[in-house]
Amino acid sequence: MFLSLKNVRKEFDGKVAVDDLCLEVPRGIIYGIIGPNGAGKTTTIRMIMDITAPDSGSIMFEGQPRRPDFKNHVGYLPEERGLYKKMTLHEIIIYLSELKGMSPAKTRPQIDPWLERVGLADYGQKKVEELSKGMQQKLQFVTTIIHDPDLIVLDELFSGLDPLNMELIKDIILDLKRAGKTVLFSTHVMEQAEKLCDNICMISNGKKVLDGRLADVRAQFGKNSVQLEIDGDGHFIRSLPGVGDVSEFSNYLELQLLDNADSNALLIAIAQKVTVRRFDIVEPSLYDIFIDMAKIDPSELDKPGGERHV
Amino acid sequence: MSKMLVVLKREYLQVVKSKSFIIGIVLAPLFMIAVVILPMWLAGAKSSTGEKVSIIDQSGAEIGRRFAESLDEYKLEDSDKPYYILKDLIEIEPGDDISFNFFKDSLRTQIIDQQLKYFLVIRPEAHLLDSNIYLVTNSDNFVSLNRFERKISNVLSTMRLNASDVNISIDSVLNITRRIDLVVHDAKGEAIPFQIKYFSAIIFAGIIMGMILSYGQLVMRSVIEEKNSRIMEVLVSSVSPFQLMLGKVLGLGAATFTQIAAWVAMGSLLYSQKATLDISPSIDRILFNPVIVVFFGLFLISGYILFSTLFALIGSMINSEKEAQGYVMPISLLLVAPFIVGISIVQDPNSTLAIVLSMIPVMAPTMMMMRLVFIVPTLSEYSLTSGIIGEAIISLSIVVVTILFTIWLTAKIFRVGILMYGKRPTLPEIIRWVKH
Repeated sequence: MFLSLKNVRKEFDGKVAVDDLCLEVPRGIIYGIIGPNGAGKTTTIRMIMDITAPDSGSIMFEGQPRRPDFKNHVGYLPEERGLYKKMTLHEIIIYLSELKGMSPAKTRPQIDPWLERVGLADYGQKKVEELSKGMQQKLQFVTTIIHDPDLIVLDELFSGLDPLNMELIKDIILDLKRAGKTVLFSTHVMEQAEKLCDNICMISNGKKVLDGRLADVRAQFGKNSVQLEIDGDGHFIRSLPGVGDVSEFSNYLELQLLDNADSNALLIAIAQKVTVRRFDIVEPSLYDIFIDMAKIDPSELDKPGGERHV
Repeated sequence: MSKMLVVLKREYLQVVKSKSFIIGIVLAPLFMIAVVILPMWLAGAKSSTGEKVSIIDQSGAEIGRRFAESLDEYKLEDSDKPYYILKDLIEIEPGDDISFNFFKDSLRTQIIDQQLKYFLVIRPEAHLLDSNIYLVTNSDNFVSLNRFERKISNVLSTMRLNASDVNISIDSVLNITRRIDLVVHDAKGEAIPFQIKYFSAIIFAGIIMGMILSYGQLVMRSVIEEKNSRIMEVLVSSVSPFQLMLGKVLGLGAATFTQIAAWVAMGSLLYSQKATLDISPSIDRILFNPVIVVFFGLFLISGYILFSTLFALIGSMINSEKEAQGYVMPISLLLVAPFIVGISIVQDPNSTLAIVLSMIPVMAPTMMMMRLVFIVPTLSEYSLTSGIIGEAIISLSIVVVTILFTIWLTAKIFRVGILMYGKRPTLPEIIRWVKH
């Protein structure tokens, strides 16, 4: 396993922030830690980054306890992030990569291509304070990955990003994954995790609620349903194999699928008798699963499609 | 280690490249010259102009006249001209208080207008009652007062002798009873004037204090800046908090030494002009005293590390420079304390108070430095284990032990404190961090 946490526990002033947490992060995937604010995501990430020490439990990187040079192989973008205002973009990129053990000579040729990629090509010699907030966020992202880390840890990456920059950074993250890097990020916005992650871990009140491959999680907890629009009489559908409850709405039907249902066979069976205008397999959202599993008050979470926390 | 050097390099360059650093290099010596050396020059320059004296004599016994004559003995430096210039000698009948008051008021005005430095008042029967003679001035100085006292005493003694039946020549009485002014030599037979020691002590201890305060606070400011700009968490994901703190302390320490090196270079330029600047040659015995120079370096380094670590500790616990003021004030007082109790060192650098204060770690660097300059020890006079050099070594050791403790303490608190935004930790919280 690329990164694993075993029975990790952390208390602050008698309050348990992370309780007996186990995580397994395989190499080369995008892994999302999701949960509401205050669930223990940042504490978990700080312990992974060796910024905070766990009270008990162990954290292994590539199957071994983290070595002193572990930090050089990780890029970390904390939730609370900033830069030196008075340094130029080039200076700060070189400084932060030097702190990751990269020589300036090795970093220098990579600066301009990266700045170009995030649209800051003309700002290399400008001071950080001359950048807009959105530009600073893109620069922060560049400083996180400039030293070509194997593991990229992003805490609440998307908070405060405008939609354009969000797309840009998502693209880069997907590129990193293609290049074999492992990306670990935390968010309290389930929708983002749904779009990006291969694996997820849901935590609530410092405890793991569930984890695994996103597809498995959905399959495990999915009470999948099909939204169906047809021309003709659909009465026969109720008796087809794999179909449970059927609810009729004004212009479509909603079929609950049984666990053993084969949606392809179902579609063929329906299409033989009537004309199918729409056949939508609706998977349950992470949001629904989380509410279901964590038994928490939905108001603690951002609703899908709702406004994001900034 | 290498990451600590990366931090060190950045902190050093940030300071050395700043305009305020260059300004500091130029302005601080100018300020020092203005505060310390200028008054010395002015005090020295007075001896070439002399001082004006007037006398109102109501004794009817020519005390004033004889006093004025005896003052002729004091000459201007390198000249035959008298130092004291007799402006008016006013002799009034003992009963004529109207004239007395008139002249006294007029001389007073002259003093206020600075046309006159002193006037001596001799009331009737002055040889019987000491308080019937007094000096009026707005700026008495130690040297002239001493001379006046001696000359008046001689005049009065002569009068009293004449009035008595003792059959002995007046001169021989004066000769027998004459007072002596001790010339101070040190054990090597050389004398360093008091003022030179005094100003040297202030300059040496002042440089230590000034450097510790200004660069120590830079360490604190640098920590606060990184907390405020939220870059701190990024940094500690690359370096350990301890490396970060050490890099800051040593980087700014290197800047301190760069500044002092620039001053030494400027100072040696000034020193090469020593002859024309009329600086007392005895300053060499302080400037080139190996004991003083070595301990100056040691106390500067150890004092800086001690205080900058404390400042880093404060910076990690607070969120703004405004908040910092409450903490900086008491620390500054600790450093300034030796200048406040300086009078006791001046009187006796080996007094119990001076020795005790120079063993208190937070005061030791400045306090011990002042004592060393006052005593001007040489290796041939003192052994390494006893006397002032032994005490300096003990004092230095106390500082070093304290440094080890503060670094340990700061490392504990720093790593937690730097990630606390907004909220200031309470004392119980801090104690818990230290225990952890």
